[in-house]
Amino acid sequence: VTSRQILLVVALVQGVLLGALIILIILNRWFRLRRNASVHPRRVTLDNAMRRWAAEGGPLGSVLVGFARLPASLAIDALVGWSARVPGERWRELAAELEHQWWARIVRTNSGSFRWWKRLECARFLSVAATPRDVARLVRLINDRHPAVHVAAVASLERMESAPLTLAALERMPRLASTVQAYYAGMLRRSRPVVIQHLQKRLGRTDDPALPRLVEFGVRLAEPALRERVTALAEHPDPEVRIQVSRGLGNFPHRESVAALTRLVADPAWEVRAQAARSLGMIADPTTLPLLRTALRDPIWWVRLRAGLALMRFGTAGRNALLEAEVGADGEARDTARMILGLPAQALAEFAA
Amino acid sequence: MSVGDIVTGTDLAILVYFLALNSFYALLLILSIPEIWEQTRLAEDDDFQRLMQSDALPPITILVPAYNESATIEASVTAILTLEYRNYEVVVVNDGSKDNTMEQLLHAFDLYEIPRIYPETIATKPLRAVYRSRTRSRLLVLDKENGGKADSLNAAINASRFPLVIAVDADTLIEPDALLRLTRPFLLGREIAAVGGTVRVANNCTVKDGRVTDARVPHRLLPGIQVVEYLRAFLFGRLGWNRLGGNLVISGAFGLFRKDYVMAIGGYRTTSIVEDLDLVVRLHRHLRRHKVRYEMPFIPDPVAWTEVPELTTILSRQRERWHRGLIAAMWEYKGMLFNPRYGRVGILAMPFYTFGEMLAPLIEVLGYAVTVLGLAFHMVNVPFALLFMLVAWGYGMLLSIWAVVLEEVSFRRYRRFGDLLLLLLYASLENLGYRQLTVWWRLKAFVSVWRRGQVWGAMVRKGFATPS
Repeated sequence: VTSRQILLVVALVQGVLLGALIILIILNRWFRLRRNASVHPRRVTLDNAMRRWAAEGGPLGSVLVGFARLPASLAIDALVGWSARVPGERWRELAAELEHQWWARIVRTNSGSFRWWKRLECARFLSVAATPRDVARLVRLINDRHPAVHVAAVASLERMESAPLTLAALERMPRLASTVQAYYAGMLRRSRPVVIQHLQKRLGRTDDPALPRLVEFGVRLAEPALRERVTALAEHPDPEVRIQVSRGLGNFPHRESVAALTRLVADPAWEVRAQAARSLGMIADPTTLPLLRTALRDPIWWVRLRAGLALMRFGTAGRNALLEAEVGADGEARDTARMILGLPAQALAEFAA
Repeated sequence: MSVGDIVTGTDLAILVYFLALNSFYALLLILSIPEIWEQTRLAEDDDFQRLMQSDALPPITILVPAYNESATIEASVTAILTLEYRNYEVVVVNDGSKDNTMEQLLHAFDLYEIPRIYPETIATKPLRAVYRSRTRSRLLVLDKENGGKADSLNAAINASRFPLVIAVDADTLIEPDALLRLTRPFLLGREIAAVGGTVRVANNCTVKDGRVTDARVPHRLLPGIQVVEYLRAFLFGRLGWNRLGGNLVISGAFGLFRKDYVMAIGGYRTTSIVEDLDLVVRLHRHLRRHKVRYEMPFIPDPVAWTEVPELTTILSRQRERWHRGLIAAMWEYKGMLFNPRYGRVGILAMPFYTFGEMLAPLIEVLGYAVTVLGLAFHMVNVPFALLFMLVAWGYGMLLSIWAVVLEEVSFRRYRRFGDLLLLLLYASLENLGYRQLTVWWRLKAFVSVWRRGQVWGAMVRKGFATPS
């Protein structure tokens, strides 16, 4: 076999592949056009039936038929799309009826599929159409290893009130990346009573490695029942816990919060001091004004900025403190005060947010 | 050693190079299949309404450096300010433009001057003024002395408030849901250092209110071929690299970065020729050295549209600059080459970019020269040489058409059948003349790499008012 013959074979194979690819492109386009042409009218029919039913003018049966006539993935898309537009009670009625539909049963069985996209499909379906009988299935999906699956499954908390489901999400939350934690936190807020009960127990375990994340979540709930637990953590050896505590205590205007923040504003970690200064501004207790004057001379720019912004929340007294600092002996306090006093109202509002 | 020996030896070396490089391309092509499968699934399954209402979305600062962009600045900034994202700010930097870019901004967004309220963490050229807008609360405008694109980006990073920054060219149009899509890897809990989206060609598209409303393939050959080039670079090149764990290019026109990592390496390097490549290589180096777990994926569904050059003079300058940047970066970071300390980046990505991308034009020209020499001395079998050329060009065509296939089975931005045929036509024509031109431009980069400093490079913008 000569090299020329090999090249000839390669050229032939390339030619065949090129031709095949071009045919594939054209066939793919043709197939999709045909599929769209057949599916689109069915989707329109479903939307019309759904609209009539949502306005209490049409039968639920035609809605169920409409869903059954669509491919499962498109039916789930439609279901997710409509879930935000139909009131709760009527939606629960639909979810209960869907439990007996053949296609929905198949989707449910996919919760144990070894293919992640099938489990994702199931999680998306259950996120809007779960019934109390799906709790075990949803707990399994919340603990799924594929991130897209558990993120979709946790959205079921928007509609389901279930203690096992809430606890599964709460257990998983601290182990997740910060963005996913925030997403979980948003979902868990809806199950407030169960969450608070659980947090009261967990915040008492000071050696829990998940503590910083749980405190962060707890203080965002601004729940008075958690104040004592959070305040008790102000002396915690982990600076990350103290950062979250000092950030959160601003939500609890209480003398014990002020006492804790008085200590935290002198913390060795600058992040703790900055958050404590911010929280002192939120509470705006006049007795803490001298602490913020001192913080205005902090060696760290961010602490000085937070202290200056906090002083602006004290009204005339705070403004006078800044005016004094503007002509005072400390150069850094002077610069910070000048900058804060020069900020327009909009910028101050943005910082406060 | 006779001329015949030299020609035969060189021929063999080029053949081995050709086989190795094209096998690697074939590997990228194969790896792009599962990647686009997964990405398409995730893109289709996103419930964006729910995400948009979520507090989980990480806040983003969009950095928009602008130098002599008066033709497009208002439309671009307006489009950026109306993106579908909950928590973001836009920092536009006028880099001492010589045209009326600053006046346009002042007038269009009703700007007023404010004091500077942040520390200068990365040193930049002096700021002239900082502005906020009376009509757009998300907008911050910096007016500074000219220092180049990297310097502008650094100034914008200093002024940014949020933990993620995205650099966007002022002439780039971002799709409304692109930021949402770009943050998907963060929502999936991955350890992301940077993430890149797709850049597509906006020439001949219909643009309304700063949005591409009708995607069209240009009828002119030069921008048309660039559509295929961009599809190939993004849809299978970078997707393939996702699986190999070493994406070395996050487009400067549309890339999201973690600000703390960018600041840790001192921001963009003002002396670099292609600042995005330089930044990404330095990020890899820094994160690998500090043993930080990270990913730099490319995800195909967030899209930004950009105008590409329609004139050969402008295109040649652009390509020469890109290649100069590649040469400079590969030389600068040669210590990473084949260095196991840098993992797959050192073992795979750096060698590929050095030998497969940087040296490719030299070797291709050498191949042409040796073939001509061989023909002149009757040492090359003419039918064999022609057949070899046919195979080489056919392979290039195959890769381009594969990129069109990936586009067709995934995102299908070009809805018209005529546009699809045009894409296939351009994919077929790319190797006949255009490719050789780019080889020549890239070759010129070797000559000028030691002589020229960093410049923005002039780009004639038509603006996006009407389709051409």
